[in-house]
Amino acid sequence: MTKKSEAKEADEKLIVGIDLGTSRSAISASNGKSMWVDSYVGWPKDFIARKVVGNSVLFGKDALEHRLSLDLYRPLKNGVIKEGTTRDEEAVKELIHHLITLVKPKKDNSKVRAVVGVPAESFKVNKVAIRKAVSDFAESLLVVSEPFAIAYGVNALDNAMVIDIGAGTIDFCIMHGTVPTDEDQRTVLQAGDYIDQQLYNFMAERYPHSDFNLNMVRRFKEEFSFIGDPERAVKVNIPVDGRPTKHDVTEEMRRACESILPAIVETTLELIAKFDPEYQDVIRQNIILAGGGSQIRGIDKYLENVLSEYGKAKVEVVEDPLFCGANGALSLAMDMPEDYWTEV
Amino acid sequence: MTPRNAADNVRLKSTILRGVYNENLRINSPRPDPASGRKGREGRRTALVFSVLLVLAVTVLFVRFFPSMGPDASGEPAAVASATASPVSMAPAYTSASLPSANLSFPVPQASYVMRPYDSLPQDFNTDRLLDYSLILNNDMVRLSSVFGLDVQTIVIDPGHGGVDPGAIGVLGTKEKDIVLDLAHRLRDKLMESGRYNVVLTREGDSTMSLAERVEFANSGRTDLFISLHVNALPQKRANVIETYYYGPPSDAETLRIAEQENKGSGILTRDFANMIRKIGNTFKEQESASLAAAIQHSLFTNVKKYDKDTSDAGIKIAPFAVLLGVDAPSVLVEISCISKKQEELKLNLPAYREEITSFIAEGTSRYLARRNLQVVKGEENDQKVRGKRS
Repeated sequence: MTKKSEAKEADEKLIVGIDLGTSRSAISASNGKSMWVDSYVGWPKDFIARKVVGNSVLFGKDALEHRLSLDLYRPLKNGVIKEGTTRDEEAVKELIHHLITLVKPKKDNSKVRAVVGVPAESFKVNKVAIRKAVSDFAESLLVVSEPFAIAYGVNALDNAMVIDIGAGTIDFCIMHGTVPTDEDQRTVLQAGDYIDQQLYNFMAERYPHSDFNLNMVRRFKEEFSFIGDPERAVKVNIPVDGRPTKHDVTEEMRRACESILPAIVETTLELIAKFDPEYQDVIRQNIILAGGGSQIRGIDKYLENVLSEYGKAKVEVVEDPLFCGANGALSLAMDMPEDYWTEV
Repeated sequence: MTPRNAADNVRLKSTILRGVYNENLRINSPRPDPASGRKGREGRRTALVFSVLLVLAVTVLFVRFFPSMGPDASGEPAAVASATASPVSMAPAYTSASLPSANLSFPVPQASYVMRPYDSLPQDFNTDRLLDYSLILNNDMVRLSSVFGLDVQTIVIDPGHGGVDPGAIGVLGTKEKDIVLDLAHRLRDKLMESGRYNVVLTREGDSTMSLAERVEFANSGRTDLFISLHVNALPQKRANVIETYYYGPPSDAETLRIAEQENKGSGILTRDFANMIRKIGNTFKEQESASLAAAIQHSLFTNVKKYDKDTSDAGIKIAPFAVLLGVDAPSVLVEISCISKKQEELKLNLPAYREEITSFIAEGTSRYLARRNLQVVKGEENDQKVRGKRS
């Protein structure tokens, strides 16, 4: 197939890469658009709520804002679709539909081809559920594991390791020139959400009379997270008896962020140790951090230092943690030969 | 990221893309049932053998039976036999092929059921309809829960042992009763999250409870599912053995006894009904228990295997555990881990690991429940969707 006909093909069919995340989901499309939403889906609780919110279903920030009048779902909590509840499946479906409508012009009737990245954990259970959820909106679809999509996106196909620090899970994946199998992947369940919880607990311990909730704590984390020595003291505004008051949470922030490190180091070492000894050195120098957790200040340097004890090590952070999964999935979708699409 | 030339990269990419494609083809193709494999295939073979036997038995009966019907039928025994045989001969085709959604196969002795009524058939009795019944009731390919759209409301979780009975004890002194109690509490929280099920425990704390009491507890409430949690102790085995039990089909002697009882009746419809009720109970519990067992075992094993290579899959087993036999609702007994293995005992002491194990069991259970719900007539699902959107 020539370049030209390929381009034409892409015009007729909208190709999208979707990253379904625990806390945020992103989509990148072949028409150049990319969008993201918080992975929240909410349905109005009753018809009054329906009137207030003015929509039959809300997503992301909108849903969070109106959460008091909504049945709010975070369908991918813990990185898997909870299959037991139809509402969660429905929520995933709505979420995917929403993502696709975000990038697809309304009048455009072109068929959609999608590559969907899902958390590596319970990939087997999820992929069937995802297929079900996407089948209504996409003509053909491929499901891949999230860290693999990231690796593909940054072209780290051989002798590389991706650590995707998400909200619900940290996914590890070793790439060695083929599709990673279960053996090449690990998942740790203590990730971003765990940090939030830890931070919340530490703060509640130190400031028992201050009013804050997990949402606020997550915002603090996203702004100030760090590992090692702080650049400056972390001070946040929290109401005490209704009056905003500055609180110093430097130490709490450090402890919370560092709480996920032991598991990361251990799993990284374990995965590398299992790999062909000849290439272990190469992999150690080709580690890629992705996901929201990669934005924790100092985490790359910390890992590099720890791993250096075993030999030369290099840890890089992806450029665009929010979209790297979706972009990876998109580039995979674009590269996929035409005839592979017909049967899936 | 690794420096490499363009040609190499293209080759690498095409390998990977093919891999992705193949993997997705695998997802696409109807998923093999978790319980298939050795067990499933054997079951199917047995079912096939039984259906062939059934055809033979019915044909033989008809050949014997029709000459005594009088002048009316005597002229055309062959025609009638072949006519009646045709729906019957559908049975093997039905059993052996098609129906990918069919779950587990049980060698249900169909022949004995179909054979009996013929000795006192009323003249106008439609034998085809009888066979239709047998298709629903005795056929392992038909999920009764989906035929009748049954729902699950109350789930009873039974942490094994307790009180004076510690259950298995590990080398480090970890007691089975404590582990399973903690797991039961976690599992309850997990299952309650959805808000759709009412989950109760047979024992809330460390109290002694006999098997009979557990059975009574389950049967007195409105139990829809019963999950008993246990920990294996197999000092002679080096691997971590995970297995799930359910109470299986009655032995041949049992079937015989039921058959005998039923032969005492006179009216065919009454007997048919009694038989039906009994078979519903049996087939239903078997089917549901087996698929629940399969779902839990699958989730638990495949996930634990990821962490510990040295895990062996003992599969789902049929065993005459008193609790499983006694409880009316579909019931399974899960041996979640092997405490006689020291590493496993250490891990079981970590709350994080127990939480994980729980999530695997919950995942299996929800997968089972989801599949049940999925089989409810499509229209109903749509109604729900519409209702959800409107409200």
